[in-house]
Amino acid sequence: MKMEQVSANCHAVLNEKNLVCDANSGLTNLGGGVVIDKLGGLLGALGVLGMIIALAVPAIGMAADAPRRPNIVIILGDDLGFADTGAFGGEIRTPNIDALANNGVRFTNFYTHASCSPTRSMLLSGVDTHVNGLGNMDEWTAPNQRGVPGYEGYLNNQVVTLPQLLKAAGYHTYMAGKWHLGKAPDQIPAARGFERDFTLLDGGGSYWDMKNVTAASPRLVFTEDGRYLTRLPKDYYATKTYTDKVISFIDANHGDGKPFFAYVSHQAPHDPYHLPREWRNRHVGAYDQGWDAVRQARLKRQVELGIMPKGTELAERMWFIPDPVVLAPASRAILGKKMELYAGMVENMDHHIGRLIDHLKRIGEYDNTIFVVFGDNGAEGTDLFNMIAGTPGTRDFLFAAINWSQTSPNAWGDPGSFVGYGPMWAQVSMTPFSQYKGWLAEGGIRNALVVSGPAVKRAKGSLNHGLMHVGDLMPTLLEVAGASYPKAHQGRELPPLIGKSWMSMLSGKVDSIRTEKDYLAWEVFGNRAVRQGDWKLRWQFKPYGKGEWELFNVAKDPAERQDVAAQNPGKVKTMTALWDDYVKTNNVILPSRGPFETLEDQLPTRVPVDTGFPPLIYKRQYVPPKELMADPKP
Amino acid sequence: MRIDVWLRRAVTVALAMGALCPPLALAQVPARFYWKTLSDANAVPLIYQSVSGNTNPFDPSHRVTSGANFDATLAMAGYARTFTLLDRSAMAAVIVPMGRISGAVNVGGNSVTQAASGFGDPMLEFNINLLGPRAQKNLPDVLRYEPGFSVDLLADLALPAGEYDSSRQLNIGQNRWYGRLGMPVVWQLGAWVPGRRTTLEFLPAVWLFGTNDDYVGQTLKTDPLFQLDAHLSRDFTERAWGSLDVAWYSGGKSSINGVSGEKLDNLGFGFTFGYQINDNLNFTFGYKSTLSDEAPDDLRMDSFMVTLVFGWHPLLEGVRRLHSEK
Repeated sequence: MKMEQVSANCHAVLNEKNLVCDANSGLTNLGGGVVIDKLGGLLGALGVLGMIIALAVPAIGMAADAPRRPNIVIILGDDLGFADTGAFGGEIRTPNIDALANNGVRFTNFYTHASCSPTRSMLLSGVDTHVNGLGNMDEWTAPNQRGVPGYEGYLNNQVVTLPQLLKAAGYHTYMAGKWHLGKAPDQIPAARGFERDFTLLDGGGSYWDMKNVTAASPRLVFTEDGRYLTRLPKDYYATKTYTDKVISFIDANHGDGKPFFAYVSHQAPHDPYHLPREWRNRHVGAYDQGWDAVRQARLKRQVELGIMPKGTELAERMWFIPDPVVLAPASRAILGKKMELYAGMVENMDHHIGRLIDHLKRIGEYDNTIFVVFGDNGAEGTDLFNMIAGTPGTRDFLFAAINWSQTSPNAWGDPGSFVGYGPMWAQVSMTPFSQYKGWLAEGGIRNALVVSGPAVKRAKGSLNHGLMHVGDLMPTLLEVAGASYPKAHQGRELPPLIGKSWMSMLSGKVDSIRTEKDYLAWEVFGNRAVRQGDWKLRWQFKPYGKGEWELFNVAKDPAERQDVAAQNPGKVKTMTALWDDYVKTNNVILPSRGPFETLEDQLPTRVPVDTGFPPLIYKRQYVPPKELMADPKP
Repeated sequence: MRIDVWLRRAVTVALAMGALCPPLALAQVPARFYWKTLSDANAVPLIYQSVSGNTNPFDPSHRVTSGANFDATLAMAGYARTFTLLDRSAMAAVIVPMGRISGAVNVGGNSVTQAASGFGDPMLEFNINLLGPRAQKNLPDVLRYEPGFSVDLLADLALPAGEYDSSRQLNIGQNRWYGRLGMPVVWQLGAWVPGRRTTLEFLPAVWLFGTNDDYVGQTLKTDPLFQLDAHLSRDFTERAWGSLDVAWYSGGKSSINGVSGEKLDNLGFGFTFGYQINDNLNFTFGYKSTLSDEAPDDLRMDSFMVTLVFGWHPLLEGVRRLHSEK
C-alpha cells in the first residue's frame, strides 16, 4: 500500500470516528467539519506519520481494512418526466438509466417538489423549503415573503448541506451542472460544500453558450471550483461538458482512497431543447400519432411493468389541449417534432450518463457506487419563453428577437432556438398523472426514482411502491457515509430533517419507511398539498384546481380524476389539520402574488374532456350500402 | 409561432423558390432550380433576358458566328407542375421563348445585318428525383424536407415550332428537334435552416441536336454538346439568397453541308441574387459572361437576366383565404 493511501485511509477512518463522536457528544459548535479537515490535512501532509499511526494502532489499522464506503452519484434530470425513461414505460431509448434500474430498484411513489429550486434545496439540505430559503422560487418571491427567513431565494445559511457533511465525513464532493440555489460568493457550490464544481448557477438557458433568456439578465453565470467563469470551455455543450467535468474531478483524486460524492445535476432535458444535430432525428415522425396515443402506450407498458396497477386510468387531457385526432397531419408533425427533440434530449442525457457509468467501470469504481437517479419536478408544460418574451414591444421581446429567434423547425436545437414541447407532451412525460411542473397534482411532484449500488439489497430490477421524498436523501446518504446529521453547524442550531433514511427499506427489512400516519406536504406559488397514506389533499388555483380543498385517493386514482372531498369530510378535516401543522411547523407564508393569480382569466373555461365529443367533428363520412347506391335518374 | 403561420411559410418558401421555374433552355439555369417542393404545386415563370455576343441565344448549341455581334431580348413564359411519380418528386413543364434578335451575320462573305422576332421553339421538360428525399406528398413531408445529397434525371425536348425563315441565318426557332439529358445534383452543405442554407449544385448534361435540313438551303448538323453548370448558393436572410454560377461547355461542333466549325470549350461565370417577394412571388436577378473569349471563334456571350416566378398550391391558397377571414 502506498504511503499516501495509508494516510488517506487513516484520514477517512479518523473522520468517521470523529464524526460519530462529534454527533454523539454534541460538540459541534466548534465546527466539527473544520476540525476534521484540519486534522486530515495535517495527516495527509505527514504521510510518514500517517503510516506509523496506521501500523502502530491496531484498531485503526483494522478499520482501514474494512470495506470502503461507497461512492455516491446523484443524477438529476431537469424537468425529466415520470414516464420518460424505458424503465418507467417510456418509448424513449434510455439504456443506461434502464440498466441502473435493472441493477437496482425503481420507486413509483417518490416525491419531489413542483419546481426546481425547492426540490434542489431539500435534496441538499434535507430541510423543508420554507425553512431552507426556497419557500418560493427566487424569481417569484411575493411581496409578503420578502425579507422573511426561509424565503431568501437561495439556500440559506440556516441549513447545512449534504456535501458539507459528506466532505466532513471524508468524502470528496463534486458537482457538475445546474445549481439554481444562489449566485453570491457565499451561496455557490464551492461555499456550500463542493470541493470541485463546474456549475451553471442560473435556472436554465442556452446549452451552447452563456446566453440567458431575459434582457435584464442576459448572460448565464457559471462557476468552476468557486471562480466565476468569464467564458466557457471550447466545444462546450452542457450535458457533455458536465459529464466531462465530473469524470475529470473523479479522476483527479482517484486512488487516494477516499470515496466521492458526485452531484450530476443535468440541465437536460429542460427547455430550450438544444441538441447536437446528430441527436435530433432519431424519432422522425414517431410522435405524429399525437399525445393521447403515446400516453396510452406508455400507460399500457407501465401496467405491464407493474409500475401502475391494473385499471389505472389516464389523467384527463387538459381541457385546452386539442384531441390530436382532429388536428391536421401537418400540425401533428410540427408539434410532434417538438417531442422528437425532447426525446433526443433525454437520449442524449442518457448517453452521457452512460459515459460516466462506463468510466466508473473502467476505473473499478462502479461496483462500489450508489446511483440515485430522478427528475427534479414534473415535466414542463408552461411556455416559459412566451411568458418572458412573448409580448411585442417589451424589452425581453427585443432581446429574444436578437438572441432567440431561430424559429424554423430545422433550426430547433441550434443556438438561438427556444423550443419547449408544451402542456400536451408534458402530460405524456408525466403519464398517467395529471398536470405538470409548477402544480401540486401528481404530475407536478411525483417522479421516477432509480437507486442502485451496494446499499441496495432488494431484488435487482424490482419495484417499490413505498412513500418516499426527496428530503429523505440527506439522512439516507449520511447513513451510507457513516455520518450523521449534527444538531448545530457553525454555531447555529440546525433545523430538523424532514426526511427518513431509506436504508432499512433498501436493505429489504421494510417495504416502506413511512407509516400510515406519516405525511408529506408541499406549498409553492400558493398551491398546497398533503399526502398521507393513500390520500392526498390538494388546493390549487383555478382552473387547474377548484380554489378549494380537493381530496383524492391516489393509490386507486393516481390520475386524480375523482375529487372525493364531498364524500369524505372526515378525511378532509383530518388532513387539513395536517396542513395546519405543516404551516405552523415550517413557517409557511402563502404568497400574496404569484404566477397563477390571473390564470383563470387567461385560459378557456374548464370543461370536462369527454372522448368523442362533440360528434360533429368526429363522425366520419357515411357510406351507404353499395347495393342501394344508384346514379340519378334522367 | 402559430402552426398555421408556420405551415404557410413552409409551403410558400418552397413555392417561391426557383424549384418551379421551368428551364431556361437557352441559357444556364439559375441555382436552386432543382430544389423540390410539395407535389401538385404550380408555377408560372416569367423570364426576361438581355443578351449580347457572337452566338444566337435562342440556339442552345451556342454555335459561334465568327465576328458577329448579336443583341437579343428574350422573354420566356411557361407553366410547371410538380407531382409524385413512383414515390419520387417529379416535375413537368413547358416553356415558350419569345423575343427579338438582331445583329451582323456573314452572308456570302459579306456582313449583313439581320433581325428576327417572334416565338421560339417550345420546350417540354421532365425531371424526376432518383436519389434523395422521397416526394413531398403532404405538409409533414415539406416540414421534413432537406435535400441532403440528391440526384435527379432530367429530360428536355424542344419542338421545332418556333418562328423560322429558311432564307435567314438568324432565327428565333431552330427548325430542328433538340433536347437535353442531365442529372441535376443538389448537395446540401450544413443546416437546412432558412436564412442559413448553403448548397453546391451541379448540372452535368448533354444536349442532342437533330438536323436542320433547311439552314439557308444547307444542312446544319451539330455534335452533342456537353454542359456542366455549377452553383454555390447561400441564403443571406430567410428571403434573400445569392449564388456564384459557373458554366462550362464542351463539344457541340457544328457542320454546314459537311464543313465543320470549331467545337466549343468555354467557361462562363456569373452571379445571381434571389429574393422572395411574398408568399407566391420570387424574384431573381443575374448576370453572367463568358471568360477567355478574345479569339474570334471563342464563344462570347454576356447576359442580364431577371426572373419572376409565381407559384401557388391549392392548400396554401385555402389557408390564406381562411386566415384572411380572421
